[in-house]
Amino acid sequence: MAPQFLLAAALACSPTAPDTAARPATPDSLITRSTGLEPLDKKPWYRPRHIVLQTGGGIGMVAAGVGYSLGKDKNELDILLGYVPTKYAGSSLSIVTAKYTYSPFVLPLGERWQIRPLTVGGYLSYTHGTVNDEEKGQYAKGYYWFSTDTRVGPVLGSRLAYRRRTPAGQPRNVAFYYELSSNDLYILSYVQNRKALSVGDILTLSLGLKADF
Amino acid sequence: MLSRFRSQPLLTYVSVAATALGLSSCEMLEFSPNDHRSPDDKQALTQKNLTTLLAKPLPANDTLRFVYTGDSQRFYDDAEALVKSVNQQKGVQFMLVAGDISDFGLAREMWWVDDQLRKLTIPYLTVIGNHDQVGNGRKAYGEVFGPLNYSFVYGDTKFIMTDTNGREYNFNGRIPDMPWVRQQLQDNTVRRHVIISHVPPQDEDFDPAVRDAYVTALRADPRLVFEMNGHRHDFSIGQPFNDGVTYVNSYAFEKRQYLIVTMWGDKEFRLKKVPF
Repeated sequence: MAPQFLLAAALACSPTAPDTAARPATPDSLITRSTGLEPLDKKPWYRPRHIVLQTGGGIGMVAAGVGYSLGKDKNELDILLGYVPTKYAGSSLSIVTAKYTYSPFVLPLGERWQIRPLTVGGYLSYTHGTVNDEEKGQYAKGYYWFSTDTRVGPVLGSRLAYRRRTPAGQPRNVAFYYELSSNDLYILSYVQNRKALSVGDILTLSLGLKADF
Repeated sequence: MLSRFRSQPLLTYVSVAATALGLSSCEMLEFSPNDHRSPDDKQALTQKNLTTLLAKPLPANDTLRFVYTGDSQRFYDDAEALVKSVNQQKGVQFMLVAGDISDFGLAREMWWVDDQLRKLTIPYLTVIGNHDQVGNGRKAYGEVFGPLNYSFVYGDTKFIMTDTNGREYNFNGRIPDMPWVRQQLQDNTVRRHVIISHVPPQDEDFDPAVRDAYVTALRADPRLVFEMNGHRHDFSIGQPFNDGVTYVNSYAFEKRQYLIVTMWGDKEFRLKKVPF
């Protein structure tokens, strides 16, 4: 885990340097530190809050991207670009994913750690690069009713975060997460075949890192 | 990367939970639904099932009997019932599935079908269907089952299994692979030939540019008992080209019926419908 952790941490740290230099600690932030409250991050709304690195979950052998935190950091929207080499899928695949998650509970674990025991959400992905992609005129309309490239599915997981701060006292957590997920086609298969298929058959696992920056 | 993660207690917990759910963490860490990496017991199934079949050779002149079905796609509960029924049949030597093993061309679907069909007391063999070629399905089929064109000899009969899903290749004029088909049909060391594919030549999903060549080659083969297909999900038997060549279509799993095919003599055969 260490190299990935370090890579994510390194990537997370580098952009913060000019940020803190341009905006040194103000008396205001010193006061909030002394009261133990989180200082407010004054960043433009469009600036992503964290970077993400993930494997599995049907969206790439490696998927990397950025994400936004909304509603007191309990809601997150991540945009990821995934890659699967030919060796594993028959062709080189690029997968773009939007994933929305909600983690209602945040539990401290000592000074430095924090657990989010429940993360629920969903994703929408688009795959580019399949071998037999529908070409214009290949099939009559509705020949295959499903999309071969677009998938939607639910996710359910947990997260363990290491609490870091910038020199100015702003939180820069690094979190490890796992998620169990599925997709529309797997779920449909299960729903119609409750005897022959089990929930375990249709689950996928993803492991990931999220680092604030 | 995985081996490094393994030392983490959380990961240990997740992999234990995953194993309890019936999948190892490696298969659960799916890179894409098109990811075709498969566990050892879900690879090269054609080769494995042929090895099982040929371990019990059929003596020359013995009656051949097999179950014929097709289109298992997304009918897993039906597959379970089919297996129970087939396992009660006496004297059948193997089962053939005439393509569309999967619905979406995904390796996991092929595993799920095998999860059921491996409970058969006889080996089963497949030929690729059009649904097995959606997306990267052709590669998944190759990984889970094996070659898209292959043949085997059992008793006095050569079974020629070929890919006729021309539409999936945008009608490129090369499906079915006629040089390969002709070479197989020219084998005169075996008493009988049976050719099996998914899309029947009279179907609009068969490459019209190859239809004549295919039908003509079959007509010219004196050893051919009949041609067999799936795709249409329902049983039929007839001579659509009025040329003396018989074409048989399988029931789909969802139709809750299958055929028992019995063959003897030069070209004698009987079909029995079995509801389940």
